[in-house]
Amino acid sequence: MTDPVPVRSRSTIAAPPGRATIPLPAVRHRLHARGTPMPSPLRSRFALRSVTVLVLLLATGLGSLVDPPAALAQKKKVLTIAAKEPDTLDPHSSTLGQSQAITRFLYRGLTRFAIKDGKVTTAEVEPDLAESWTLSPDGTVWTFKLRKGVQFHKGFGEMTAEDVKFSFERQINRTPGTRYGVNLEVIKSIEVVDPHTVQIVLKAFDAIFLLRMVGYQQGYIVSKKAVEKHGEQFKWNPVGTGPFYFERHTPRERVVLRAFDRFPGGRPSIDEVHWFDVPEDATKLIGLEKGTFDLLYPEAVTADFTDQVKKMGAIIDRRGPGAQERFYINMTKAPFDDIRVRRAFMHAIDRKAIKETMYPGGLARVASSCVPPGYFGHIPMTFPEHDPEKAKKLLAEAGHPNGFTIKNYFISKSFFYPKVLTLAQEQLRKVGIIVELQVVEHATFHENIRKNLNPFVLYGGTRITDADPWLSLFFDSKEIPDPATGNKGSNFAHYRAMDDLLAAGRNERDQKKRAAIYAEAQKRLERDLVCLPISDVPNQWARNPKRVAVPFDPDHGEFSLHYSYNYPEMLKVLN
Amino acid sequence: MFQYVARRVLVAVPMLLGAMSIVFFAMRILPGDPCVSMMGDQATREALADCTKNLGLHRPLAVQYVDYLWRSVQLDFGNSLRQGYPVSEYIARMFPHTLVLVMSSAVVAGLVGIPIGIVSALKRRSPLIDYPLRIFALLGLSMPVFWLGILLLIVFSLRLDIFPLIGGGDLEGVLHMLRTGEALSSPGDFLAAVGDVLHHLVLPAFALGFTLAATISRLSRSAMLEVISQDYIRTARAKGQGERAVVYKHAFRNMMVPLLTIIGLFVAVALTGTVLTETVFTRPGLGKMLVDAIGARDYPLAQGAITVFTMTIIFVNLVVDMLYAVVDPRITYR
Repeated sequence: MTDPVPVRSRSTIAAPPGRATIPLPAVRHRLHARGTPMPSPLRSRFALRSVTVLVLLLATGLGSLVDPPAALAQKKKVLTIAAKEPDTLDPHSSTLGQSQAITRFLYRGLTRFAIKDGKVTTAEVEPDLAESWTLSPDGTVWTFKLRKGVQFHKGFGEMTAEDVKFSFERQINRTPGTRYGVNLEVIKSIEVVDPHTVQIVLKAFDAIFLLRMVGYQQGYIVSKKAVEKHGEQFKWNPVGTGPFYFERHTPRERVVLRAFDRFPGGRPSIDEVHWFDVPEDATKLIGLEKGTFDLLYPEAVTADFTDQVKKMGAIIDRRGPGAQERFYINMTKAPFDDIRVRRAFMHAIDRKAIKETMYPGGLARVASSCVPPGYFGHIPMTFPEHDPEKAKKLLAEAGHPNGFTIKNYFISKSFFYPKVLTLAQEQLRKVGIIVELQVVEHATFHENIRKNLNPFVLYGGTRITDADPWLSLFFDSKEIPDPATGNKGSNFAHYRAMDDLLAAGRNERDQKKRAAIYAEAQKRLERDLVCLPISDVPNQWARNPKRVAVPFDPDHGEFSLHYSYNYPEMLKVLN
Repeated sequence: MFQYVARRVLVAVPMLLGAMSIVFFAMRILPGDPCVSMMGDQATREALADCTKNLGLHRPLAVQYVDYLWRSVQLDFGNSLRQGYPVSEYIARMFPHTLVLVMSSAVVAGLVGIPIGIVSALKRRSPLIDYPLRIFALLGLSMPVFWLGILLLIVFSLRLDIFPLIGGGDLEGVLHMLRTGEALSSPGDFLAAVGDVLHHLVLPAFALGFTLAATISRLSRSAMLEVISQDYIRTARAKGQGERAVVYKHAFRNMMVPLLTIIGLFVAVALTGTVLTETVFTRPGLGKMLVDAIGARDYPLAQGAITVFTMTIIFVNLVVDMLYAVVDPRITYR
């Protein structure tokens, strides 16, 4: 498949390997010109000599290095990626975007997100490592038939039901380091029926079970033998069934992956993947333009970033629904315990302006609901429109005619947080709500919002694409953070009016009725004004189209929970 | 001499202990929890508690502190919380990268800074020479290394394509070849690998070296000015010695004594500079590792890195003090 977007003719991206190298004399000349600004009547020969020696040293030093040594003709197809270093390659261990992005190259799950009409869909699945499955009439026993002959990397043998059982049980048993056991808590027991059949018994019916089995986070199947052999060091000796296998890791520099010959979908056309640790977006962009990198995963996508990417003729692969940036208002904390103040807050915020400043044009969409589009159960909601006058009036009614000041409002210095918050700060100031910011490290921010230090919380993220897990995390009363009990949940609104619906939704087997339940949940949020979504920001990578082709439309042609391409084996390195 | 060294090493112990204690407590005073930072916003309370327990962070601070010191005495810095590698192994892999960067930037700083300082001192009365050199020094002092680094990358790496954009070359390969003797058996490969490392080193060494050269040039200028006004210089001139001999033989050597003092300081500044340099040039190394470790609240890794930094600075200062005796025969140690 070829890239659907035409390559710009005026592109300035370098297309390796044909690199322009400046001829030697020019370089020397420049250095001479730069190093000898001395006026001619130098009385001391010593001074003249020392400067000349210096210039010569520099010039020879540089000159001898002009030709990159050992730039041997590499016919290998190497995909170079600029991102951050993953903290682990154990797929069950990390919540960092870069780690989840790279694990998709190495591992697969029983199911995968379905490709329909040339698009990767959001909440539908199709068989992957499992060939087929059945559900018992009472809705609690899933029987998966595994695909035969699927091999693990590095000679760890065929993938069997034992590995499936092991992969889930290590998480359910909370093996140190694993993070997603909570997503598998619905499982009561796992039976190996035969090497290619596995039976999973649930505690109760679970509407999103097949979504949990997708090759993503908890759904990945790892090699039991490899985990048992490497123990804790499995994180840097990963063995899965994905299209690429792990070759080596040079800390703080790169991770190298190689094509797996026995990948069930066939050997990928890319021979090697070099995943570089590049902390600075500026460096990533220079590398993309220069041709050092083919793909880059930016820390933050800004208008400036996309401008630069477009200018150099590169493409942004935009895959939804991505993360939603939103405010949760703590309804128990004065003065926001008064719904008029919350309404005033929402009237004060100009969501469109924030979205346009952060993500002009198609970079993101103004969020339409507290459950993002593309998630099962999403319905559009309405929010108080931007109207500072109404906001002021409401504040006056609520007893704050001159507004009020929020001191020590903590905000992370990373990602979108400081930018969105300073925009909101300015808008709130106009209605008399003064927010005094304290910019802190990201980890500190996470700590402080769980101590309820911020009366309203800016938050972003992606979850399994269903309203149940999403709403449960942010509105279930069990998730109210409380430093007294050590609860570090994420119900920052301190909302308690949805528990009944969440419980009912989890037991409902009729999809239509489930949808109705979550619609009702969103209506309650509309009524209680505790959540104000700002932007739905798709995951975005920048790509050199002269080097890499992807089979899906760059504009939301793919759903991506992985912070990355769902099907890295379909990427093609050109020329 | 031996006594002096022994005494100095003994004095280093409380210094090291102090530095290690400060890092230990500073890391823990910083708000933010390694588990929260590692597990992100999806972590449940139980998972966080598990994580805290697995990392031993649930123990009282005093217990953790004593445990940390006791292990450090045995040179066991624990495992990186985030990546799981043993800290000592991690540092051992990163240290050479930082060492070559510091050394090469020292060479650049010396080669650029000292001659400029000397010339600017000797030619202080001719504005055409002194002023440009002082402007150079001012530029070097005011240009932050990350800014200069990005400029160098844009010009020499992106536009001219002379130098690589990222990485540090295969330094591990070079060291491996040195250890196994492959350096001698296949000198071609070895030289190619060394060349590659140097190729990666030029821009960062220049960026860091240039900013340090400015300081060095100012210091050597004032050192030279002081020396050149001494009586023995006048005597030398009165003896009828040429200007070259005066500068080389009499002034230069004496100027090195005060200059040497700042080398200890210089190492501290250069090590700090590696933090930014390594980040901008995307080189592996202790500096980049330290920044990431602090950001991720990776306590053992940050503690290990600071300990190594402190040890390096103490060691260099000791060596510098020894060198005094070599440079200035009047100084002896007892």
